[in-house]
Amino acid sequence: MTWMTPLDFAVRYTAVLILALIVVIFGIVAPAFLAPGSLMSTLKAASFIGIAAVGMVFVLLTAGIDLSVGSAMYLAPVIAGIAMQRLGIDVAPALLLCLLVGAAIGLVNAILIVRLRIVPFIATLAMLFLVRGLGIWSTGSRQIDFPASMRAFGQSALFGIPMPVIAFAIVAAAAHIVLAHTAFGRHIYAFGNDAEAARKAGLPVRRMQAAVYVICSTCAALAGFVLISQIGRIDAGFGEGREFDVITAAVLGGASLFGGIGSAVSAVLGAVTVQAVKAGLVYAGVNLYLQPIVQGAIIFLAVFLDGLRAIRMEKQARRSIRPLA
Amino acid sequence: MSALLTLEGLGKDWFGVPAVEGLTLSIAPGEVLGLIGENGAGKSTLMNMIGGVVPPTRGRMLWEGQPYAPASAADATAEGVAFIHQELNLFGNLSIAENILIDGFPRRMGLIDRRAMARATEALMARLDLDLSPDRPVGTLVAGEKQLVEIAKALHRRARLIIFDEPTTSLTTREIERLFSLIDRLRAEGTAMIYISHILGDVVRVADRVAVLRDGSLVGEGPVDDFPVPRMIHSMIGRELADVFPPRRIAPPDAPPVLEVEGLSAPGVIEDVSLTVREGEVVGLFGLMGAGRSELARILFGLDPAERGRVRLGGQALHGGPRERIAAGMGFVTENRREEGLMMDASVRDNLALAALGQFAAGPLGLVDREKVGAAAQAMQQDLRIKAADLARQPVRSLSGGNQQKVVLGKWLLSRPHLLILDEPTRGVDVGARAEIYAIVNRLAEEGCGVLMISSELDELKGMCDRIAVMRGGEITGERSRAGGYRDADLVALAFGEQAAA
Amino acid sequence: MTAIDAPAPVPARQRRGFLARLLGSEYFVLWLTVGYFLVLLPFLPTLGTPANLVNLLSNMWPLLVVAIGQTFVMAVAGIDLSQGAVMALTSTLAAALLATGADPAVLAKAPIWGVLLSERGGLLDGRGGVGLALGLGLAVLAAVAVGLMNGIAVARFRMPPFMVTLVAMMIAGAFAIWLTQSENIRNLPEQFIALGKGDIVSVYFGARTESQLPRREVYPLVTYPAIVAIIVAVLAHWLLERTVFGRQVIAVGANRRAAEISGVPVVRVLILAFALSALFAAIGGLLYAARLEAGRPTLGSGTFLLDVIGATVIGGTSLFGGKARVIWTVFGVAFFVLLSNSLNLMNLSSFHVDMVKGAVILGAALLDVARTRLTRQALP
Repeated sequence: MTWMTPLDFAVRYTAVLILALIVVIFGIVAPAFLAPGSLMSTLKAASFIGIAAVGMVFVLLTAGIDLSVGSAMYLAPVIAGIAMQRLGIDVAPALLLCLLVGAAIGLVNAILIVRLRIVPFIATLAMLFLVRGLGIWSTGSRQIDFPASMRAFGQSALFGIPMPVIAFAIVAAAAHIVLAHTAFGRHIYAFGNDAEAARKAGLPVRRMQAAVYVICSTCAALAGFVLISQIGRIDAGFGEGREFDVITAAVLGGASLFGGIGSAVSAVLGAVTVQAVKAGLVYAGVNLYLQPIVQGAIIFLAVFLDGLRAIRMEKQARRSIRPLA
Repeated sequence: MSALLTLEGLGKDWFGVPAVEGLTLSIAPGEVLGLIGENGAGKSTLMNMIGGVVPPTRGRMLWEGQPYAPASAADATAEGVAFIHQELNLFGNLSIAENILIDGFPRRMGLIDRRAMARATEALMARLDLDLSPDRPVGTLVAGEKQLVEIAKALHRRARLIIFDEPTTSLTTREIERLFSLIDRLRAEGTAMIYISHILGDVVRVADRVAVLRDGSLVGEGPVDDFPVPRMIHSMIGRELADVFPPRRIAPPDAPPVLEVEGLSAPGVIEDVSLTVREGEVVGLFGLMGAGRSELARILFGLDPAERGRVRLGGQALHGGPRERIAAGMGFVTENRREEGLMMDASVRDNLALAALGQFAAGPLGLVDREKVGAAAQAMQQDLRIKAADLARQPVRSLSGGNQQKVVLGKWLLSRPHLLILDEPTRGVDVGARAEIYAIVNRLAEEGCGVLMISSELDELKGMCDRIAVMRGGEITGERSRAGGYRDADLVALAFGEQAAA
Repeated sequence: MTAIDAPAPVPARQRRGFLARLLGSEYFVLWLTVGYFLVLLPFLPTLGTPANLVNLLSNMWPLLVVAIGQTFVMAVAGIDLSQGAVMALTSTLAAALLATGADPAVLAKAPIWGVLLSERGGLLDGRGGVGLALGLGLAVLAAVAVGLMNGIAVARFRMPPFMVTLVAMMIAGAFAIWLTQSENIRNLPEQFIALGKGDIVSVYFGARTESQLPRREVYPLVTYPAIVAIIVAVLAHWLLERTVFGRQVIAVGANRRAAEISGVPVVRVLILAFALSALFAAIGGLLYAARLEAGRPTLGSGTFLLDVIGATVIGGTSLFGGKARVIWTVFGVAFFVLLSNSLNLMNLSSFHVDMVKGAVILGAALLDVARTRLTRQALP
C-alpha cells in the first residue's frame, strides 16, 4: 500500500540487518570467519545462550524478567551430575532430571510472582541467590566431574551437525510453533500487550504467566546441560552473570523489555549475533580486552534503534484530526 | 415484539447507598435504546449489572423471558451481550483475525488453523465493509477501524445485544457516519443495541427510544421523537441551571487580553486557530470529541509543537515547553487527572506543591521551605474545601474524584496563573463538587485570571463562559458571546458543521 | 441496621496496634536491624566485639555511598547496573594517575603504559595535594561522563534503563580491564591509602599502663571513609528531601507525564539522576581502591551490584519510582552488612550466605506487599 521509508525499514528489521552487517564486515576483515567450519562452530557456541534466550523470550513477552537463569543453568546440571555419579544413571534420565529441576525452579518463581505478587525483578533476584546457594550446598562448592558418557553425548553429531546445534534448533522450532501457532502462544502476546485487557477478555492469565517462568527455567536448565556435556565437568562459578547475556541476546534479537514484542526468531538472531561478534572479533585479531567494548557498542546500537521504534510508534498513535494538507 | 432483555425493579447499593434504584426497562430485538444521564447517574452501574460484572442488590433481569443472572463477564458474553467501550479491548500486536477470535481459535491438531481463521474473519469483515487483510496487526489501524474490529468480535460471538459506551469519542466525522450506518444495518438484522452517549445529537440520530437516568433512577423514557434535545437535558439535570452555576460578575469587554493566539497551525491537528482570552474572562471551547480542543490546549501549553502562528501571554511571545509557559503564568488542568494530573501515590501536599516548587525554594541551592509548603497546602485545603485527613501523608489515590480534581486545581492556583486552561474540569466529578469547582473558577476570574475552559457539556459552558468558541476538525468554526445570547442549536450546528445543521 | 453493620472504626484501628504500627513505620528496617543484632548477640558474642564492630562499619561505608547513588536512579523509576563497572573504571584511572611507581614486568603491555603510567609512577604522582585532588577529580569526572551518557540515552532516546546501564556496564568494565590489561595497579600514595583506612579518632581498650599502645587494640572509630560516607549521606538526604531538584526527582518517578505538565524539566532530572548514581559509585570506588591499596579493574564485578540493589530495595525504595529516601537506604545497607557479617562470623560457607541473602530479599519483598496492603487499609 505505502512504501516504507528506509528508517522504517531499518527500525523494523533491525536485528536481521545488524546480523547481516556483522557477517559482511567480519567476512571482509577476516575471510576465515566465513569458512563453513567456523560458521558451524559459531552456531555451536551460540547454542548455549541461545537455548536459554528462547526461554527468556517467553518471560519478556509478558513484560517480566528472569534473573535466576544463570543459577538455574548451574543447579539443574549439578543435580543431574550428582545423580549420575551416585546412582550411576545414564545420560537420558540425567537430562530428564535436569529438566525437571529446571521446571521446579521455574515453578517457585511462578508462585512468588503470580501467587505472592512479588515483582518479577525482585522475586527472580532472590531466586538467583537461593538457587545458586542450593547448588553450592549440594556440591560443597567442589567441581563435579561427569562420567565419560556425558562427554560422548556432548561431542555427538547427527549428519555432521553437532548435538548443541540440534538441541538449539529443536528448542527454537518448538518455541516458534508454540508462540506463533497455538492459542497459548497468542495469548502470551495478548497479555504482554495489555494485561488488563487480557484479563477482561477472560484469558487464563495467571496460568499463562506461571507457565512462562517454568518454560524459561527449563530452557536455562537445558542450556546448562548442553554446555556441561561439552566440558564434562561443572564448577561452582558456572553460569554466574549469564542472566545478563541471556537477556541481552533476547533483546538484541528484537524482544522488548516492555512485553508483547519478540519471537523465537529473536532469541536465535540475538544469540547468533552475539556469538558472531565474539567470533568475528577473534578472527579479526582484535585485542581480547577490547572485544567486550565492541560487543557493547553493537548492543547499544540495537537497543537505540528499538528506542527509536518506540518513539515512532508513539507518534503514529497520536490521533490525527484533520487530513494533512 | 417480545422483549430481548427486561429489567424489573433493578437496584444496586454501594456500601448501603443506592446507585441504581427501581429500574424497569426493556429492549426488543432490532431496537436501539439511547441511554443518557450525567456522570454518576448510574449508567456504568447499570451496564456492569447487565454485563455480569456486579450482581444487582434488588430486582431481576430477564433474557427472552427467562431469568438472567450472569455471574461473570464470561456468562454475559455467552448469553450474547457485547460491549463496545471508549477504550477498546484490543491487542495491537496481534492481527485483526487473532483479535476477533482471541478466546476461541479454530484448531487443527492442536495448532491454530490459520486458514479457517482467515475464512471466519473475512466473512465477518465483509459484513462490516471492512476492506482490510485479516493478517494486518491491529496496532496499525486507525481508531474507526479498530472499533469495527471490536464490533466484528461482537458479531463473531453472535451478540444479540450490543452496548455502545461513548463510541464516537475518538472517531472522525466520516468514521462516525460509517458507524451509524452500521448500527442501522445491525438494527435491520434484528440486533438489539444500547447506545450511551453525552453527545445528544448522536442519540437523536441513532436511537429508536430514549431512557434518561438521573441519580440512579429512570426519570424519562419514550420514543426518540418525544425527546428533543432540550427535553433530554431537562430530564438529565432535573433542575434549573442557575442552581449549579453561581452568578458571576461579567468580565468587562475592554479588559486587556491575557492570551492572544494568532493563526496557530499544526499539520494534521489544528489549522489557523485564532483566539483571545481577556483578564477576568472565562472563554469556553466547545466541540465534539476529536475536534482538536485538547490538542489545541496541549500546543498552547508547549507540550506539542506548532508549525505556524503566534501565542502571546500578557503581550509576551511564548516559547519553549511547559516549564517556560508556567513561568510566564500559564496553568493547565488536563482532562485525565490520573495519567497527567496527579502523582496518585504521593501525598496531597506534595501534589499541591509540585507546580510551584520554585516559589517555596530559597537560596542558590533551591532549598524547599517545608513549613511554607505545609502552610500553603493547608491554606489551599481550606480554600478549596479539600476533604483529606492528613495532607502530608495521605496519598491522593485515596481521595474521591471531586477532591482529586480540587487538588489538581489547587496545584495550579498555588502557581498564581494569569491564564488557566481547564480541560473537562468536571469529568467524573459529582454534582456537589462540580458546583464548588465552578465557584472556584469564578473566583479566579474575578481576581483577574483568564480562563480557557474546554468541555463537551454545553450547559456547563453556557453557565460559565463569557464567550464560547466552537471547534470542528481542528479549526475554530465560530464564536458566540453571552451578550449575544447562546442558542444550543446554533452552537451544536457549529460543532457538527453544515451537514448536521441541515 | 447500620449500627450493627458498621464496626466502629476506632477499635478496629487499635486492634491492629503495635505490629501494624511497627510494620508501617519509616524506621521498620532500622528496628529490624537492631532487633536482629540484639537477638543474635547472646549466641554470637563476637558480633559485639570492638574489632567486629569496626569491621562492620568499615564494610558499610563504601557500600552505603554506592547504594545512595542507586537510590536516586530508582527514585526516577530507573535502575543502574553500571555502578560496579564505574567503580572499576574510577579506581583504575585514579590509581594509574597517582601511583608512585609501577612494575614494567606487569604493566608494560597496558595501553596506559607510557601515557598515564610509567616506572616512575603516574602522571600526577609527586605533585602534592593538588596532584592528588586532580587525579581523584579526573577519575570521578570519567565516571560522571558514563552516568551522563546513561541518562541521555534513557531520557532523550527513551531506551530502557536496564539495557542502557547493562551495556554501560559491559563497556566501562571492559574499558577498565583493557586499560591495564586486567592487572591491578599498586603502589598508591600514602594519602590515597589513608582515604581508605586512615583514622581520626581511635579508641583504645587495652591496659592503661603500657607506654606503647599495641596497634591491635587501637580501634579506629572515626575514619576517613566514615566521614566521606556520612557527608555523602547527609548531602544526598538533603538534596533528595529538601531541594527543588530532589522533589522533582520524586515527581518524575511518581508520574513522568504529570511532572512534565507541572513544569518539571524531566529530561534534565533524569540525566542528573543517572549522573549522580555514577558520581556516588565513583566515590565508593575510590574508597574501595584505597582500602585495597590498589586500582582494580575488576572491582565491583560479580554479585556486588546485586548487593547494592538488594540493600536499596530492602530499605524500602521502590523499583517503580517515586518512593525513595536516603535514610531508608542507610537502614537497608546497615541491615545487609550486618547480615553478611553475622553469617561470616557463624562460619557459614558462601552458599549459606547466598541463600540467606536470597531469603532476606524475598522476605523484604513480601513485607513490602504486606505493608502496602496495610497502609491502604489504614486510610479512611
